[in-house]
Amino acid sequence: MEDKTKQQIMEQPFRGTALLDPRCKSLLLILLGFVSYFVNGEVVSLILVLGFALFVSLGNGIKWAAKMVVIYVVISVLSTLLKYVSIPVLSVMMSVFGVTILKFIPIVMVGNWILRTTHMDDLMVALQRMRLPQAVTIPLVVMFRYIPTLGIEYRMIRNTMDIRGISDTLWKRITRPIATIEYILIPLLMRCLKVTDELAASGTTRGLELEKKRYALREIRFSLPEYLVTIAGLTFLGMLLFLDHTSIGKIILWRL
Amino acid sequence: MIEFENFSFRYEESKEFTLKNINVTVETGEFILLTGRSGCGKTTLIRSLNGLIPHFYPGEMKGDIRMDGASLLDMKSSQLAGRVGTVFQDPRSQFFMTDTTRELAFGCENMGYRREETVDRIAKAVADMELSDYLNRSIFALSSGEKQQVAIGSVYALQPKVYIFDEPSANLDYEATKRLAQIMAKLKQKGYTIFVVEHRFYYLRDLIDRAFLIQNGQIERTFTRGEFCSLPEQTRVLYGLRTSWPGQDAKAYQEKKSHRETGHSFIVENLSFDYKNGPEVLQNVSFEAHSGDVIGILGHNGAGKTTLLSVLTGLLKEKKGEIRYDGKRLSPRKRRSLSYLVMQDTDYQLFGSSVEEELSLGISGDPSEKVTETLEALELSAYREQHPAALSGGQKQRVTIGAAIVKDSPVIYFDEPTSGLDYDSMVRVSRLIERLSDAGIIIFVVSHDFEFIVRTCTEVLQLDDKGAIHNRHLTSSVLESLSEKYFN
Repeated sequence: MEDKTKQQIMEQPFRGTALLDPRCKSLLLILLGFVSYFVNGEVVSLILVLGFALFVSLGNGIKWAAKMVVIYVVISVLSTLLKYVSIPVLSVMMSVFGVTILKFIPIVMVGNWILRTTHMDDLMVALQRMRLPQAVTIPLVVMFRYIPTLGIEYRMIRNTMDIRGISDTLWKRITRPIATIEYILIPLLMRCLKVTDELAASGTTRGLELEKKRYALREIRFSLPEYLVTIAGLTFLGMLLFLDHTSIGKIILWRL
Repeated sequence: MIEFENFSFRYEESKEFTLKNINVTVETGEFILLTGRSGCGKTTLIRSLNGLIPHFYPGEMKGDIRMDGASLLDMKSSQLAGRVGTVFQDPRSQFFMTDTTRELAFGCENMGYRREETVDRIAKAVADMELSDYLNRSIFALSSGEKQQVAIGSVYALQPKVYIFDEPSANLDYEATKRLAQIMAKLKQKGYTIFVVEHRFYYLRDLIDRAFLIQNGQIERTFTRGEFCSLPEQTRVLYGLRTSWPGQDAKAYQEKKSHRETGHSFIVENLSFDYKNGPEVLQNVSFEAHSGDVIGILGHNGAGKTTLLSVLTGLLKEKKGEIRYDGKRLSPRKRRSLSYLVMQDTDYQLFGSSVEEELSLGISGDPSEKVTETLEALELSAYREQHPAALSGGQKQRVTIGAAIVKDSPVIYFDEPTSGLDYDSMVRVSRLIERLSDAGIIIFVVSHDFEFIVRTCTEVLQLDDKGAIHNRHLTSSVLESLSEKYFN
């Protein structure tokens, strides 16, 4: 009985790349952010997305990666279409908008995957091993914990707004965008303040502020796989930056 | 043994002392109920036990608190972590981790225990608290009761000798409350000292050793279990206490109104709803309501009360069936404009930058006259210019009700309006609903609060496991069968 319970406790829902040290994952995310910003070629950008989609797929993220790749392709095609219709101002606005979204897709893909496949205690251990002070780690962890609840809270607020007739129609939202954002943000911030306060109190009574060396349920070390993945990632990204300056960077992929 | 010696405390930001000269000794293994009106200082008292005072909530202290001879006030809250365990009121906001197993491990990891020891401690908590079904689950998929059991487990894994519960039943249904009482009984049996702050304390009747009545920051009286559970009605009401025997209210129930079938009608016929790829939540729900009816919606957590409210208020579209108001079929959109929902958590529904603006939001035309009238009626005129967030919980609730009145909604829904309220506030909400009912509004109340239901409702809708509903005119015998179901 007890052994079975212990087995259950040690059970690991994640596989493959999802099990990498959180430090390794975050490092890749940061590098990816830079490279995504500097890479302009259409082929090179696509390779970047596909490469990281493969990386995410190898760690419990195959559906998510597929979804993001599809979205990437759809937006690329749409913004190409836009070149053929020219409405003054709007066309320019939309194409800038499209390019920005395309640059963000790989970041969102990897970022959200990290959020979903990183156990919070692993993250806390990783941050502690980086010798970050608690004044940095605790807010980070609270934020990490609060992000998944944002969606739930947002829906609750939208529901009451609909019932009360506050920004409940598309028309009202378009004509009064700032007021709409304000009506959503104020209750969201109020909730956020309250929840973080209660969370901090609950953490404190369970010893959160003790600065003891932590041990997560699974061993967290920056070891061989992490070094290999980091080197592979650096090589991949470096190669893309290089390719972007060659003739491959000039190939126009999306056309009709 | 815990000794309070002339202990007083004043929060940094307040002028007056919240706790004044507390002198009391609690023996090891005692089960103490702390009760009294909202704002009397009971929460402050437990904060000074678990170390949140003075480190998390700074202020001025006098006197001393000693646990087994050592002064608590010299200890940091982290030093107390392994000794005093606290289970907070809202299970949603006390989880640090996003999955249950790691939440159980959280305290142990903070203490710097080695992996083997952490696993041993969790395994023990799982065995003792019967949590094996809850391992490796996402906390977002748990009901309030389940969350709370995990929260207790997480504290238990640290093996403290003193347990503190801060209004633990506020978000629970009857089943989960029963389960909570069983867990507390187990902790008591193991010889731990337990403090419970609670308004609705009926479920603790057989557990408490002593009850402390707190008034204005002082322990006004201490009762033994026998004295406390047999307090005469008048004394109890005088102290602002809830009943220890909510089941008995059923016998004393007096019908409020004859069942009217006049005025506006709100008819629901064969309503069904299911979530995509999920089982049917509501099945062929049919009932009728008329102007002035106050209808209690009962059922355990997960029976579909929230879904029913969402469909009735038009936030969700029905899959089958129809909803008619005065004979006209209502689309979800029309339902949204007819209804108003007063949520349990008022933080979600205050948008304005002043109380006055709050009441006039979303209203077409000039509502200023009506706003003034409503503020007057709800005793909120003095707060007209204030930011809603600066008000107390009860005042915020009245502001949301006020918005419903200004909106002129003929149907108003209340979701758990009395959770965490003391007797006086509960009665005030009940009277307010009565007034709305007299004005001809149809009112639906989702509530687990039996005392409140008996006092307020004219009818009950009972949701069962299969999502079917039983509509019954409220009589003393109906209530008795309900109380049988909930309390035995």
